[in-house]
Amino acid sequence: MGEMIRLTVFRYDPERDAKPSMQTFEVPLLKPGMKLLDALNHIKWELDGTLTFRRSCGEGVCGSDGMNINGVNGLACITPVAGLKQPIHVRPLPGMRVIRDLVVDMDHFFDQYRQIEPWLQTSTPTPEHERLQTPEERAELDGQYECILCGCCTTSCPSWWWNGERFLGPAVLLQANRWLVDSRDEATGKRLDQLEDAFRLYRCHQIMNCMDACPKELNPTAAIDSIKRKILARKS
Amino acid sequence: MKVRKDQGAARSGFEDWYWQRLSAIVLALLLPLPFVLIIAVYSGRVDQFGLLDLLDHPLSRLLHTLLILALIVHAYMGLKVICEDYVPHIGWRVTLIGAMLVVMSGFGIWWLAMIWAWGG
Repeated sequence: MGEMIRLTVFRYDPERDAKPSMQTFEVPLLKPGMKLLDALNHIKWELDGTLTFRRSCGEGVCGSDGMNINGVNGLACITPVAGLKQPIHVRPLPGMRVIRDLVVDMDHFFDQYRQIEPWLQTSTPTPEHERLQTPEERAELDGQYECILCGCCTTSCPSWWWNGERFLGPAVLLQANRWLVDSRDEATGKRLDQLEDAFRLYRCHQIMNCMDACPKELNPTAAIDSIKRKILARKS
Repeated sequence: MKVRKDQGAARSGFEDWYWQRLSAIVLALLLPLPFVLIIAVYSGRVDQFGLLDLLDHPLSRLLHTLLILALIVHAYMGLKVICEDYVPHIGWRVTLIGAMLVVMSGFGIWWLAMIWAWGG
């Protein structure tokens, strides 16, 4: 028998269980470079079909399998099991209601995303061709547009845990900044109006868990700082 | 978590953020001075009368005033943010922040009176 990986996985079915529990599994090391998602798939397909988790693309693009891995949020599909301390503790994203096992209710997260109106807004007439950007203007979007909305950063933010009903959280604020720095967007003033709020924006205390958690290595703290500086520039 | 109806932005928060940073700069510049004074007194470079002369000087009183104002503004802003973070009940929150404002303003007025009243 080959090398085995030990995992303890959060299990909770609100309809049947009085409280959550951790279940231990042993999974064979299937291949070199095996990812945590491979181990979870093995559990689901071979050991216990009732284990519930989200996954789709399996390569860090869709952002479905965000979870808490040994205390740090990340995507199971791009986290190699080799570097993880065993037993690997797998829990759902913190601060969100658990629907079942590793699946959390992300309605509020996406509701907050809708609040920043994440689409291009213009008031000038639509040009005959595309709205063009210079390479420099396009470069402004680097580090902003890559966010896949997996929720790893937002659910690692203590400010969002305490005041998540009002604080928009790092992922949504990074996206807000993505539209503020877009040279084609013409709703900057309105967007800043919507962000200027002691809770929505200024609850960020630069704890920087978001940077640590982001599987795409983005920097939401810097984006939030950029929004604050835009508001400062508007007021000064 | 319950999906809430969007309340819109309160157009607040900037002032708190701005004053906290501005007062931090003033504190970073002025707060070392009293410690320098204490070291000077304890090392014997300045005696009691020398110390009183220094504190009596109009420029000292002005810097002292700035220091105490920055200290109170900074402490108030910091504690207000902590209350907003950790006191979820709005009634308690407003009461606590209000009480802090009264106590700290009182302390500030008393201290300023000390600065400008002594020496005559």
